[in-house]
Amino acid sequence: MSGDPILDEWYPVALVSQLGPLGRDTRLLGQPIRVYWGTDHQPQVSDANGRALPVTCRYGHVWTCPGTPSRPLFDIPEADQPGRRLVDVGVVRVKCSPLRAVENFLDIAHFPFVHTDILGAEPHTEVGRYDVQIRDEVDEVWATKVQFYQPQAAKSAAGGITTEYMYRVPAPTVAVLYKTCPPRPGEWDVITLFVQPLEQDLCEVWPWMALFDDTTSLTDLIHFQQTIFVQDRSILENQLPRLLPLDPGMEIPTRADMTSIAYRRWLKRRGYSFGAQLVAA
Amino acid sequence: MILYDYILSPDCYKIRLLAALTGQRLTLQAVDYHPGGEHRSAAFRMLNPAGTIPVLQDGALILTESAAILTYVAAMSGPDWLGEDSPQMRGQVAQWLAFAHRLSASIGKARSHDMLQQPADINACRRAGVACLQELESALTEQRLMGFGYLAGARPTLADIACFPHAMLAPDGGISTDPYPAIRLWTRSLRALPGFIEMPGIHRLHELKPEPIGTAGQD
Amino acid sequence: MTAAWTPVALARDLPRLGVMPVCVDGIDVALWRSASGRLAAWADRCPHRGMRLSHGFVRGEALSCIYHGWSYGASGSCLRIPAHPDLEPPEAIRVPVHRATENNGVIWVALGDQDNTPPALTGLVPLRSVTVQARAEVIRSASGLAIGADGIARGHLASIAVAVLMQALPEGATVLHVLAEPADPAALIAASRAVEALRRAAESKGAA
Repeated sequence: MSGDPILDEWYPVALVSQLGPLGRDTRLLGQPIRVYWGTDHQPQVSDANGRALPVTCRYGHVWTCPGTPSRPLFDIPEADQPGRRLVDVGVVRVKCSPLRAVENFLDIAHFPFVHTDILGAEPHTEVGRYDVQIRDEVDEVWATKVQFYQPQAAKSAAGGITTEYMYRVPAPTVAVLYKTCPPRPGEWDVITLFVQPLEQDLCEVWPWMALFDDTTSLTDLIHFQQTIFVQDRSILENQLPRLLPLDPGMEIPTRADMTSIAYRRWLKRRGYSFGAQLVAA
Repeated sequence: MILYDYILSPDCYKIRLLAALTGQRLTLQAVDYHPGGEHRSAAFRMLNPAGTIPVLQDGALILTESAAILTYVAAMSGPDWLGEDSPQMRGQVAQWLAFAHRLSASIGKARSHDMLQQPADINACRRAGVACLQELESALTEQRLMGFGYLAGARPTLADIACFPHAMLAPDGGISTDPYPAIRLWTRSLRALPGFIEMPGIHRLHELKPEPIGTAGQD
Repeated sequence: MTAAWTPVALARDLPRLGVMPVCVDGIDVALWRSASGRLAAWADRCPHRGMRLSHGFVRGEALSCIYHGWSYGASGSCLRIPAHPDLEPPEAIRVPVHRATENNGVIWVALGDQDNTPPALTGLVPLRSVTVQARAEVIRSASGLAIGADGIARGHLASIAVAVLMQALPEGATVLHVLAEPADPAALIAASRAVEALRRAAESKGAA
C-alpha cells in the first residue's frame, strides 16, 4: 500500500473510444504516463519507468491509479440502466487547479452570469436552501434538494423550468450531477465531470453523460455540454489564488456555497492537497 | 441555408454571428469535430475535400472558406455589411478578410492546442498571434484618430466580423489581450450591437441589462 | 507613508461603464468607471471566489463580478449577492480600494496614501498606450527622448512633440502612455506609427 491519499485515487486518463493505435502520452499528478493498447487488446497504463499501473475501463474512460487503489472505482449504477444514452463529451484542457474545476461544477449560483439564458437568467438568481452531507458510510459529499430556475436546462428542454439537482463527489477529482430529466419525469439525467490532474494548476476535464433523450442527435448532446463547460473555462483560468484554498479566510462563502464548503472540508479531512492551498497566503 | 457547424469554432461562430446580425436564417448541422473528428470522415470530405469547417450549403452552392461564406451571407441578407461605400472601404474589407486567415493560423491554432489538444508549435503560434494583435491594435488606433470606430470605417462591416472572434478569444490560447485598449473598446462595441450573439468563451455584456429590482421571485 | 502615482491608462481608453485590468507595482488592479463617470481602482479579485473583477461588468455606480454577480459600490463594500437577493451583505465583504485620479487625460493610481497630485501635462492630446517587452531604460535609450525634471520623457516622434509616461510591468515589460501636441489626424497617425517603430527597436535591443 502506498498509503498516500493522493496516489491511491483513481483518475481518468483517456476516452476508450478515442484511444488510437499510437496510444496517448499524457501526465498525471505532475508525472508522465503512457496510455496504450496492450497485446490483450485492453488499454494499459504505464509510468515513466515502464511500470504497469492498475487500469479500469468504465463510463467510457480509461482509469488508472499511480499508487495502490484504496477502494474500487466508485459506482454509478445508472450507467447500466437500459434506455440511457452514454455520451463521451471529449476532453477540454484548463489552466486551473483540478479542484477548482470540480468546485465550479458543484456551484449553481453562477448560472445566470456565466451560462446566461441556458442554465440561468436574471432575475432568477436566488439559490434556496438545500441539504449537504458528508456521507461517512460511503465517504462521499452529497448535496440534495437543490433547485434552480433554468431557461434551457437541457438540449431536450423546451422553455424554462425549475430544475432539481443532486450533486455527488465520489472521489476528489470527480463530480456527478443528477438532474431533472425533461422527457422522463421521475428519472434523473446523469452528468459527470471527470478531472485528470496534470499538474497542481493544470487539468484535463472529461465530461460524460448518461441521459434519457431519444430525440437529440449525439453531436448536439456533445456540443451542448461542451458549450456549458467552455463557458466556465475563462472563469477557471482567472481565479486567484490558482490553488484551491482549503482553509477559511481567503474566500467568503455564503449559504449558496454549502456544497463547496463541504467539499473543501472533505478534501482537507482526507489529506487531499494536490491542487490545494492549505495556509492562507 | 445549411451551416456545417462546430459550436467551439471561432470560424463557424463568425458565420452564426453575421447571420444573427443580418437576420439570415441558418439551419445548423452540428459536426462532431471534437472528439469525433467527423470533419476528417469520408462522408464529410464528399462535401468539403479539405476537411475543414465551416461549410455553407445553399442549394447547389457549397462554400468552404469563411471569408467567402461571410461575403455570401452578407450579399443575401445584409448588403451593408459588405462595406461597398467606396473603393477604399472595399479594399479595407478585403484586407481584413485576408488578415483573418492569419488570426486563424496563429491565435486559432494556439487556442485549439491549449484547449482541445490539437498539435501545434505553440510558441510560434503565440508569437504570430501577438504580432497579429499588435497590428490590429495599431490599425484600430489609426481608425480612432480619424474618428472611426471600426476596421473599415464608421460602421461595422465584414472586416470586423471576420477578425472579432479570434481577437476576443486569444486568452483561450494563452495570448493576453490586456495590452490592447483599442481592441478592448472595439470588441465591446461589437458585443453591444443589436442582435449580437455569443459563443462559449465570450460572455454576455450584463451591463446592457438593468440590475433586477427588488427580490427575484418565481414567474 | 506616501506612495508614488503610477500612470495606468489614457482616460479616453476607459469610457463610462468600462472596466480594464492594470498593474501597479506588481499588484493587479481592476480599473473602472461608473455611469456617472466616477473612476475607481480596486484589487482585481472578488473576495467571494477570487475571480478577477476586471472581467466583470459595471451597472450604474457598481462593479459586479462576472462569476456570481456580486456587486460592489463606491467604497468597495458589497451591495448585493444575487444568490440571496433579500440578504443585506455583511460589512466585512469588501474589495480593497486604491487611489485613482485623472489628470490631463491620464489615469493615475497610487497603492498608498497620496497627498500630492500627479504631474501636469497640459496642452497635449492622448495618442495611445503601447506595451513594450523591454525595460524603461532600454526604451529611453532606443527613443532618444530626454527625461525632464518631472521624470517625464519628452521629445519628438515623426516630428510631433510628445510626452511619454512609462509604467513598469512585471517581468521587464513597460507600458508607454503617449501624449502628443494637437495635430491633424495624418500627423497623429504618423506619430502612432513611430511609437510602433520605437516598440520594435526597443524589443530588438532588449533581446540582443
